[in-house]
Amino acid sequence: MNKADGSADLSALAEVDRLIHEPARLAVIALLYVVESADFIFLMNQTGLTWGNLSAHMSKLEEAGYIEVVKSFKGKRPNTMLRLTQAGRVAFQAYRQQMKRVLDGLPE
Amino acid sequence: MSTQLDLKELERKAFRSTYQDGLWDLYFGLIVICMSIFVYRPATGYSPVNIVLALSAMAAAYSLFWAGKKFITLPRMGQVQFGAQRKKRRLTLIIVLSVVVLIQVVLVSLQLLAWANPEVGTRFNSLIRDRNVMDLVVASIGALIVGPSMILVAYFRDFPRGYFIAVMIALAVFLMIYLNQPVYPIIIGALIALPGLVLFVRFLQKYSLRQEEAPNE
Repeated sequence: MNKADGSADLSALAEVDRLIHEPARLAVIALLYVVESADFIFLMNQTGLTWGNLSAHMSKLEEAGYIEVVKSFKGKRPNTMLRLTQAGRVAFQAYRQQMKRVLDGLPE
Repeated sequence: MSTQLDLKELERKAFRSTYQDGLWDLYFGLIVICMSIFVYRPATGYSPVNIVLALSAMAAAYSLFWAGKKFITLPRMGQVQFGAQRKKRRLTLIIVLSVVVLIQVVLVSLQLLAWANPEVGTRFNSLIRDRNVMDLVVASIGALIVGPSMILVAYFRDFPRGYFIAVMIALAVFLMIYLNQPVYPIIIGALIALPGLVLFVRFLQKYSLRQEEAPNE
């Protein structure tokens, strides 16, 4: 909010991390922010994303270094555990602060 | 609602989702039923076999619970590890429950001491002459140990249905000791297990068995 002239400072929105801003990725990253780690099936159930969708978003977040993916086998079943990296944690905190600044600046 | 509250709510929702399989309710219901059947004192007297059978039945109930979590819940719901706050709460619960168990051990030891020492036993019996009053006191102490212990479990494990289970378990223990017959506690055990059974059926309907493919490959 530009306090002087009463107009919202929307330029701050341009600085928002678009990788996190996408709703599905935001759901994944927010969930990983509040837990230590979760596997692929748990994330699918909690976010309501399909297998393909979650897989695609997971790849983007992994490429950006925001999440760490550990693939293993539990018995004969493949198991994919996901965990937020320190970079991902910092990026999400920065995103929250930016969004809070922008949204708090809007009039009721 | 603030952003912080939303994240807390998200974490709580994720945590409590681990209870929607109803296995905890089934487990506690089974424990009460096992206790009611095997700890019941028949007219023929009390035998160590009762204790052995009760412990074996409880171990079987726990095995069922464990197998249910491992082979039914986890493959359907997925696996999650919660943060440091939850681990701290779990550790606190372990410490608090250990203190409760210690208090129980002290109480039982004092009781055994009283039985072994005729002088103390006589003095104790003079305080509580009536057999019914004695049963009432023992039943109340039993209920007051088990009920609050379960309330602690419900609080520290963030398990809202645990408060209902706590009241029911306390009532079951009270009736089991005071009336010395297993029917009412068995009914209470069934009442604890029933919501769990409904939740378990709903859980199976909602979550199908998913085989993880290999994403990103």
